[in-house]
Amino acid sequence: MEIEEGNTSNTHKISKRTILFGVIPFIVIGAMIVLLLNSSGILFQSSIKPLPEISIEKVEFSDNNMIVAFVRNTGPSEITIAQADVNDRIYPAAVEPGRTLTRLADAKVIIPYVWNTGEPYGIGITTDDGTRFDKLVNSAAAAPRPTVGQASTFALIGTYVGIIPVMMGLVWYPFIRRLSPNKYNFFLSLTAGLLVFLGIDALLESNEIAVDNLAPAFNAQILIIMVAIVTLITLLYVSQRLIQRASKRSKPDVDIEYKKGNLSNSEPDLGTRDMKSTSTSFQQQQLLIRPIAISMMISIGIGLHNFGEGLAIGAAVLLGEVALSSFLILGFTLHNTTEGLAIVAPMAKSRRIPVAKLIIMGLIAGGPTILGAWIGGFLYSPIATVIFLSIGAGAIFQVVYSIGSWMHHTNGSRGLLNNQWIIIGFAFGMFIMYLTGLLV
Amino acid sequence: MSYPQIAVLFGIAISIIVFAFSTAVYSKSSVSDQNSSKLNTFGGHTPGYPTLQTTGDVLDPTSLVINPKIAVVDPMKYLREFNYGKLSTSSNATVIRDFTMIASDQLTKEVSPGVFYNVWTFNGTIPGPTLRATEGDTIRITFVNNGSKFHSIHFHGIHPSEMDGVFEGIAPGGKFTYQFTAEPFGVFPYHCHMQPLEEHITHGLYGALIIDPKTPRASADEMVMLMNGYDTDFDTENNFYTVNGIPYYYMHHPIQIDKNRLIRIYLLNMLEFDPLNNFHLHANMFNFYKTGTKLIPDEYTDIVTMNQAERGTLEFSYKYPGKYMFHAHKTEFAEKGWTGLFLVKEGTNQSINENLNVTSIRNITNYSTTDFNKTTGLVPTGGVN
Repeated sequence: MEIEEGNTSNTHKISKRTILFGVIPFIVIGAMIVLLLNSSGILFQSSIKPLPEISIEKVEFSDNNMIVAFVRNTGPSEITIAQADVNDRIYPAAVEPGRTLTRLADAKVIIPYVWNTGEPYGIGITTDDGTRFDKLVNSAAAAPRPTVGQASTFALIGTYVGIIPVMMGLVWYPFIRRLSPNKYNFFLSLTAGLLVFLGIDALLESNEIAVDNLAPAFNAQILIIMVAIVTLITLLYVSQRLIQRASKRSKPDVDIEYKKGNLSNSEPDLGTRDMKSTSTSFQQQQLLIRPIAISMMISIGIGLHNFGEGLAIGAAVLLGEVALSSFLILGFTLHNTTEGLAIVAPMAKSRRIPVAKLIIMGLIAGGPTILGAWIGGFLYSPIATVIFLSIGAGAIFQVVYSIGSWMHHTNGSRGLLNNQWIIIGFAFGMFIMYLTGLLV
Repeated sequence: MSYPQIAVLFGIAISIIVFAFSTAVYSKSSVSDQNSSKLNTFGGHTPGYPTLQTTGDVLDPTSLVINPKIAVVDPMKYLREFNYGKLSTSSNATVIRDFTMIASDQLTKEVSPGVFYNVWTFNGTIPGPTLRATEGDTIRITFVNNGSKFHSIHFHGIHPSEMDGVFEGIAPGGKFTYQFTAEPFGVFPYHCHMQPLEEHITHGLYGALIIDPKTPRASADEMVMLMNGYDTDFDTENNFYTVNGIPYYYMHHPIQIDKNRLIRIYLLNMLEFDPLNNFHLHANMFNFYKTGTKLIPDEYTDIVTMNQAERGTLEFSYKYPGKYMFHAHKTEFAEKGWTGLFLVKEGTNQSINENLNVTSIRNITNYSTTDFNKTTGLVPTGGVN
């Protein structure tokens, strides 16, 4: 929207003629719609009834001997639900609000059934033409109820999985500050590697959810890529604007502080020298402001990612797909500790960051896990999970881009791929994630 | 405002917008309120299962009754309905029984509450009509193919090759007369024998032929039970199992019988896809006459297992009044519709049962004539003798 605003400066007044030419195609389309709808059954008539399609999006097991299946008509036409079954055995059931579902409408099928914890169940729905659709639940578990106890359990999980690991990663800040530029480059590229892994992981996970829980009618796989790309370009635009705005307001004393910083007493390095020699006042300011902006963007990106992860964890508990264990939580904790590292790495060479600011960044990155776990566990929605994971992925790729361009800038003419530390760091970052991912 | 704050706000704004959008799409429910305020009760069918109330619709084949106008068969009528044909006598004093059988393959009927299936039928029902004759009679069947495919009738029993319904397929709109002597006495299935055989049978082209011995069996409350299934989603596995055409029908319409009255069931298995099927009687034992071709029982049991097209005769009587279940002891079939109930009463209405039965040669044939009149102008015969 703002881009358009920027362009409006050189647009002239639109004449009535222009409006007319703009509207004509719509009139033609409108006429065609009227024609087709009025002649329906004459122009394109098919004697074949379209195949029905039902998606069982969620199955809940409740303590009082009930199984509830949430179904959606994802076929091309209206359908009527005729029967329900458990493990392919027909059982009396009820469907709310009613047995007839218009396109994309959803309904709740309630089956009184004495189910056993931990056993797999196949829940089937038969439509009026005798077609059966089913969904397999690997391990039945009572659906979490939104009680204070359950909410605090999810909060605890979120704390362990989101906040604690990110905070632990932040503790590396003083360590990273003291590193030589080469090692610093190594850690920056390691961060990029971690993030690329997270981004790919989020895309794959959202794809998996889309395939398992969403009907083809939603085109969810396209949606994933779409949302990720839109998030990426939007955040790129936002970060550019932020840096520009901040640059205008920055003061010269920051510049002095920067010169006192660690870069000046580090061993001579091609990249450093290059950077120093080429730095004009504006560029220096940019260099100072960008790290914090990048760190903040990383925090937000990771926050969005962790929100999606929280949704997935909550949903997995709800759907009985995971039994929560200390081992699993530990795995997530180790896996996510690297996220804190990702946040502090870009800031290591800038002026000292107040601890409070670090904590805020940590909360931005880790806190959404709790929120995600609540929403995922109590109001699971596959499409929301897919969308948030995709946003997280887009945000993370934006962060990778920022880190990349920042490193390109600081490395000057030498180039990114000409530095073995960067290559090793990047590979190592992905590898760490892979290894810690094995624990989850 | 500093850039981190703006960044945070922007992040929150995106989240809210996207979440609002996604929940709007996700929870958009355009289902019309079909039963706005009426509460329906369901569940409680089994001890330990909760009884619940719903504002929605109940899906329950064990208690819902199909509208007989759209159902593939009326199981209660089919149970005790025997068609003896239109009687005449040949020059050499042989009894001739004339039947009309019309094949159809384009009807869609309700096979289980709420489930509609393209049924292929003889005279409009699954199972087709039960034909009955006495050993030595001449059976003459005018067969009309009112379907869109080749069909035939293949009877089990003894007859000449050209009456076997295998090599002479009857074209759509065609006619053929099957004629053979009823022999031996026993229970026999009949079915279409066109290829693909499995397809023609599983769609419903089958029924029972009973040939009585010349010396009638003892008077009894007689009934036919034909076990079948429907593969409504064409995955070569049955979705529904029934006795006499509608799943669970005799659960909400128990078969009423009299205490101490002799019950005779002509039992046939026409189930496709599953290699076997069985019949188990609760709280009782029965004499089983395999294929019904002997007058001495083969077994005294409470369960009989049959492969495809196997059949026999069961005889028993109930000593105590009450409700008794009968079902496939292949419990999967039982839980997909092949379950029913006998309601045993003190013997007050014996005479009603007598009237319905074989011993009185009265025959009420109620073909679903309307369907065929419309399309063919033919009226199936086989009426009252």
